Amino acid sequence: MKGLLLKDWYMMKKYCRYYLFVSIGFIILSMMSSGNMFFIFYPCLLSGMIPVNLLGYDERSRFTEYVGTLPYTKTQIVSAKYLIGLFTQIAMLTVICIVQGVKMGIEGNFILKEFLVLMMLLLIMASVASSLTLPFVFKYGVEKGRGAYYVMIGVVCAGSIIATTVFKEGLQNEIQLNAVLPIACLVGIGIYVLSWYLSVVFYKKKEM
Amino acid sequence: MNALELKKVSKSFSGFYLDNISLTLPSGCIMGLIGENGAGKSTTIKLILDMLHKDGGTITILGKDNEKDISLTKEDVGVVMDDIGMPECLTAKQIGKVMKHTFRNWNEDEYDRLLQKLSLPDNKPFKDFSRGMKMKLGIAVALSHGAKLLLLDEPTSGLDPVVRDEVVDMFYDFTRDENHSILISSHIVSDLERLCDYVAFLHKGKLLLCEEKDELLSEYGIIHCTVEQLSALDKSSVKYKKETPYGAEVIVSRKDAPDGFKLSPISIEELFVFMVKEAK
Repeated sequence: MKGLLLKDWYMMKKYCRYYLFVSIGFIILSMMSSGNMFFIFYPCLLSGMIPVNLLGYDERSRFTEYVGTLPYTKTQIVSAKYLIGLFTQIAMLTVICIVQGVKMGIEGNFILKEFLVLMMLLLIMASVASSLTLPFVFKYGVEKGRGAYYVMIGVVCAGSIIATTVFKEGLQNEIQLNAVLPIACLVGIGIYVLSWYLSVVFYKKKEM
Repeated sequence: MNALELKKVSKSFSGFYLDNISLTLPSGCIMGLIGENGAGKSTTIKLILDMLHKDGGTITILGKDNEKDISLTKEDVGVVMDDIGMPECLTAKQIGKVMKHTFRNWNEDEYDRLLQKLSLPDNKPFKDFSRGMKMKLGIAVALSHGAKLLLLDEPTSGLDPVVRDEVVDMFYDFTRDENHSILISSHIVSDLERLCDYVAFLHKGKLLLCEEKDELLSEYGIIHCTVEQLSALDKSSVKYKKETPYGAEVIVSRKDAPDGFKLSPISIEELFVFMVKEAK
């Protein structure tokens, strides 16, 4: 699987620079705005979509067929894309984490718990984005899977509004947060694992 | 041991049916899979690699069932697809690094040697390669991980005659080791005629024949005669025939050849064309 990850790394360096610039722009905007979660959700959402875009390039170059001649199992082929997604999301989250931490520190409203809640929500949001899209992409291909992408955009936008509301109101209620967060984390991890499992099942049935 | 064994393999798509294909490729031999576009050559190769799921039959690669641990078996199989399929933005150097982490027996020195031999630049993106260069890179990768079996889907298409000759020589060198075998598909029959020990004719998903090339060439001959002479021939001796306003060409079995006619040697290409036209 190392070979597949290396190939995706080379492709990301070539094709995903645009994502980096857009993300930097949004992170800068997030520093200047107060309370609008969308500016920090969107870079996470973009990073979650990188595996789908890499699959698009794979389809275009017919690598999706060629990989079938290489000594990889279908589970490894699917897992490589999920791992790439996870790496990019964690990398993006780390950057946002630092920026938001600094911002909160400068504004003098850094509260560790509040900060951790925000980061957790970001990770869940980003992973849910790719979790909802990838099984469709592995089953129907990138073109047809785009439908799922648009649905997911809607879900994430709605999610960010809800998250903003919860964040503002819920933080004042520690009991509510303490209950919601672990559940949200488990649900996020569960969705990611289920998504990977479904993708493997779909991809095993797919012919190359 | 046989490098490849296909027994009654079938596969149906809408508008296409691969009809119970059976063929055997002994180790150390080269088999040419000859057929027009859409005859089922690529489908057969994809079925062998389990990239397509067969509807029926059995496939054995290097003595192993192709549905059991196929990813391990692929360590010993070098493949060149018609579309190559390398990532477009990667250079030959980067592809080498990816393959180093893909194949256990990747031979970096051999890959570099082949890149040089085939005059392939190592820092140019794959998308900027010509069709011939892409094919050569696919061949370099297939020959650099100690494969025992090569599956080549139209590997000489897009190559100029000089490079084609060079590539064919590389395939010859590969089969000097008696454990090495090649299944090569093409619709350019002349290439396969030079290279192959065995030939298999595919037409619209049906296997018309699968025989040793030299036996086939010694079995059949061609007679050029008039239409009147053709009608006077014993029908049982006529295998395939082609009539034109200027005369007739008849393929006969040498042992049943009628007396009084000059029997010329037949080429694989002629035999293939006759058989396909007869099948139509």
